[in-house]
Order: sequence, then structure tokens, then C-alpha cells
Amino acid sequence: MASLSIDLREQRRSTDDLVRALALTTCFGGRTVLDGIDLAIRAGEVFVIMGPSGCGKTTLLRNLCGLLPPDLGAVSVRGHDLYSAPPQLLHHLRLNTGLSFQGGALLGSLTVLENVALPLRENTSLPEAVILDTARMKLDMVGLLHAAELLPSSLSGGMKKRAAIARAIALDPDIVYFDEPSAGLDPITAAEVDNVIVKLNKVFGITMVVVTHDLPSAYAIADRIVVLLDGRVAALGPRDEVWHHSDPRLRDFIERRLPAEDGSGMDVIRHIEV
Amino acid sequence: MDHPTITAGSTLDQSSVTALVDDLERTLRERPGKVYVDLGAVERFDSAGLGGVVAGMRRAKDLGCELRLKGLSESMLDFFSLVSVERLVSPSAGAARVDPVTRLGAMVEPMVDGAIAVAATACDALREFAVGPFRRRFLRLDRTAIEVDHCAAGALPIIALIAFLLGLILAMQAYVQLRVWGAEIYIADMVGVSLLAEIGPLMTAIVLAARSGSRNAAQLGSMVVSEEIAALEQMGVRPLAFLVLPKVVACAFAAVTLSVVFDVVGICGGALFAWGAAGIEFGAFAEQLRAALHLSDLTVALAKAATFGAAVGVVGCALGLRVKGGSEGVGRATTNAVVLGIFQVIVIDALFVTAQRMLG
Repeated sequence: MASLSIDLREQRRSTDDLVRALALTTCFGGRTVLDGIDLAIRAGEVFVIMGPSGCGKTTLLRNLCGLLPPDLGAVSVRGHDLYSAPPQLLHHLRLNTGLSFQGGALLGSLTVLENVALPLRENTSLPEAVILDTARMKLDMVGLLHAAELLPSSLSGGMKKRAAIARAIALDPDIVYFDEPSAGLDPITAAEVDNVIVKLNKVFGITMVVVTHDLPSAYAIADRIVVLLDGRVAALGPRDEVWHHSDPRLRDFIERRLPAEDGSGMDVIRHIEV
Repeated sequence: MDHPTITAGSTLDQSSVTALVDDLERTLRERPGKVYVDLGAVERFDSAGLGGVVAGMRRAKDLGCELRLKGLSESMLDFFSLVSVERLVSPSAGAARVDPVTRLGAMVEPMVDGAIAVAATACDALREFAVGPFRRRFLRLDRTAIEVDHCAAGALPIIALIAFLLGLILAMQAYVQLRVWGAEIYIADMVGVSLLAEIGPLMTAIVLAARSGSRNAAQLGSMVVSEEIAALEQMGVRPLAFLVLPKVVACAFAAVTLSVVFDVVGICGGALFAWGAAGIEFGAFAEQLRAALHLSDLTVALAKAATFGAAVGVVGCALGLRVKGGSEGVGRATTNAVVLGIFQVIVIDALFVTAQRMLG
């Protein structure tokens, strides 16, 4: 758990690269999902990974946070190679990383409060009262204190995502990864989740890496954006720069235009005898 | 009147918060009315550190004292801007006290629910089986074949192994008793009758409950959790006909075939022991066996095995289809499918034996 102070917040917001991906290539069953991705995530920023479905966003996220080793290339966190780190260093890096899964991935047998308290119980030697009050504070930050005693099965989709965020920030990590935080939520609930992400970034200086294909959400929260198209980086830079990029495929995606018809849909005409 | 003040050090994080909490506890025990916590010297803090402060405020409130904070830095105020201290220290609803009758009811209710679900699924499966031939699609043979492959073919090695060893053991036990009277030839009767009438169908059903009953419950339970069952219903495909009936039929078929295999292999094991230990020739053993067993025994045994198999299939499917509460629910249903499956098999066995006695 990293201590917070004004100094540390400033330090967290430094322009140093917190995470670097070097020539990441990942394949599934002979299909290249990510093809030579190079990027750097700066400390204290909200970094959004965007792109159409199936472009490799979630794979990139899993590569970056240490869940899926790439076939080629490397990921470094604070200068340490994630996939060749000794177990102790890897454990330390993991404790400083939060991950909010798409479906929440809350443990079904534990209440919401116990889910959030779990990383504190397992990784610290704090007194029980402090663990519970810290977990309750995290739940209050995401507006879920009233649901603390409920089981995950009785939560709505948006509540599950917020509980997952509370659990991801339980140990005050330096960086939190979000997999599709607004997918499947109504615009108001999605905006609430976005608000939580921005609030935690502003107050704690936590680096946020958000995978999304929700354009309004990406625009609302991002400091910098990377857009992936077919497993490659199509654009990378500050939000407004990417938003006004001239690449036609990127424009199609951002302006939600359907790709041009190739005419194959009407080739039945060739088989009609007049 | 001077109120006590507790001063936090320069670091208030998970490594130092315990000392602050202990200090607070000691001070609060003297019921000072009001106590100050001075955070002015704190340069570094984390969530656990402030969690300790909130825990102290809660404790003070419980003891009827007032805890006031002093010297909060801007970053601490930023932190507290994300939460409501009032909400945090207000007593949580927690688990309401439940009276013993309600608690007993909560224990019994799932059992009753389970029993009703099993009975309802059994009735539905029976009705489906009866009216099925008049429908466009009766039994999905392709799906039934897959289930048979798992239930029967997959269980063959373990059934054969258990049967062989059990045949040996039964013969051994019989030999010890019968040797005293010089009646070793009756090993054939003991092994044959006990295997065919009781142990064959029963052991087969127990293995089936452990292998296939659990599989059915876990598979259907996961399908409920991932809304696959709802999707089937929405598409107009009845889960009962599409999923349950093939599984139940496959279980019944597997129980019959496996119990025949069990009997044959078990008798072979018994004969082998009788030959090796008591010197009874295989021909004499077979002759004795033929005299001891009647065709009606085999018919009853097979009917019993089929009923056991169907019951194991129904229990697994019924409990799987009513899973609630994600992975925890799937685990519970799987355990219950095995326990209830075996219990039900024993009850049915008792009913069979009673009926056999009454019918002579």
C-alpha cells in the first residue's frame, strides 16, 4: 500500500513512464491479435485504450497488467520487466496494481464488504476494525456503502462494477486497470462510473488505464488515448489530438460511420435470370 | 476542563495505524467525554491510516464520547471529500437478529424446495417420456448418445475395477464363514445373489451419482448462471426435452448396462477367488450359480437399476436447473446432487425390497 501525501501525489503525477509496452505481439490459435504494440503510460494520467470490438483491447490490457504473457515483446512496470520479475517483485508489483474486471469478478460466496476487505485481510496485518472501516470507506467512495452486506448475486450490473472498483483500489495501488467499465450500463450509470474513475484519479493521482469502446465515456475521462485497429496502434496521443486525427479509418470509428459497402450483399443479382 | 489529545506521528499508514488505534482505545476507555486527534504532524498517510481514524470515531460514538480531528492537511480533506464520515460511523444495519423458528425455517426451506424441485422434474420427465412419442421430436438421440458416452462408456473402467475387487472381497468373506461347515461351494450363491440383487445396482448407482449426477448439476447450474437456459426457453426450446430427458434416459441406460457389467465382472472375481483359494472349478461354480439365480431376480435387478439411474439423473438435473447465486450456488447444487442422489437411491432400494416381500 503506497502512502498518500501531497508530495507523493505530485510524484505520482510526474511525467515518468509508469508502464511501457515494447513491440507486444500476442497470437491466439494462429491469429495475430496484437501486432507490435509500442506505448507508454505516464504516471497519474487517465489512459484510454479504444477501438472496435475484437481489435485486441482486452488482450492488450491483460498483457499490460501481467495476466497474459505476450508471445513477443515485453512489458515493464517502473523499469522492471513484468514477465521476468522474480516472484517477490512480481507480488509487490501486483499489490500496486488494481484490476476491475468487465463482469466485476466478485467472489460470490463473500458479501460486498468482505470482497473489498479481502485484499486488506490477505496482504496486511491491520486490526479487523481498521480493515472493515477502510473497506467501508472504499465502498462509500463508489457510493455502495448501503450495499455492503449484500451478496454479489443480488447486485445490479452497475453496482457490481462499482464494487469491483472499490476492491481494485482497496490497497491504494499506483495504477488501476478497467476492462470496459461502462459496457452494458445505461448512460447515467455509465457516467457515474466515469465520475468515480476521474474522482479517484484527481484526488489520489492513481494512474487509470481504461479499456472501452464507449466514445462519450472515453472523451469524458481521457487524458491520452490509444486507438487500436486490427491489432495495431492507429493513433496515440492527447485526447483532442486523437479525436481530430485525419486517418479515414479512425474517422469512421470516431464518427460511427459504417464502412463503405463492397456490394457483395447484392450479388444474388448475378444469379437471377430475367 | 482539559480534553485528552492524541497526536499522530509523521506517518499514518498501515504500519503505524495500529499504535494510534491502541492509544485511542486506551483513552476512550476512560470515557473522557471529548477527545482530540491531532493529525497536524502527518506528512504521509494511506487509506488504512484514515480507516483507523474512522474506526476510532466509530468506537468513540459507541462509547458515547465525541472525537474531534485537528490539523487535517489539504490532501486529507481531499480524501475525506470522497466519503461521508457521518455515513461511515453510523451503526450499520448488519445482520438482523433472527428468531429460532425463522432460523429453523431457513434451514428446512431449501430442503423442501429441493424435494419439490426433484419431484416436479421427475413428473415432468415422466410426462415428457409418455407424451413424447406424439410430438414432432421425441428423444434427441444425438444428445442422448453424447450423454450415454459419458455416463456409461466413461464409467466402464472404474465400474469394472470396483466390481472385480468387490467380487473377490465377497468371496473371501463367504469363504471364511463357509469353510467351517465344509460348504465352500456356496460361495457362488453368496457372491451371485448379493451382487445381482443388491450390490450391483446399488454400487453402480452410487458411482453414477458421483460421476454423472454431479456433472449434470454443475453443467446445468453453470448454464443457468450464464443465462443459457433462459436463452433456450426464449428460443422456444424446452430445456426439459433438450437437456433433461437425454440426461435422465442416458443415466437409466447407463445404470442398467453398468450393473450388468458389474455383476458379470464381480462374479468373475468371486469365481477366481473360489478357484484359487477353495479349489472350486469354474464349471462347478457356474453350475451352482445357475441353480441359485432365477430369471426373475435379473428382471427385478435391472428394473431397480433403471429406476436408480433415472432417479440420479433427475436429482442432478433438478438441482442444477434451480441454481441461484452464481458459483457458490453451483457448488452447493453439485454437492446436494450427489448426497441427495445417493440417499434417494437407498430409499428406492428399500421400497423395492419391501414391495418384493409383500408381493412374495
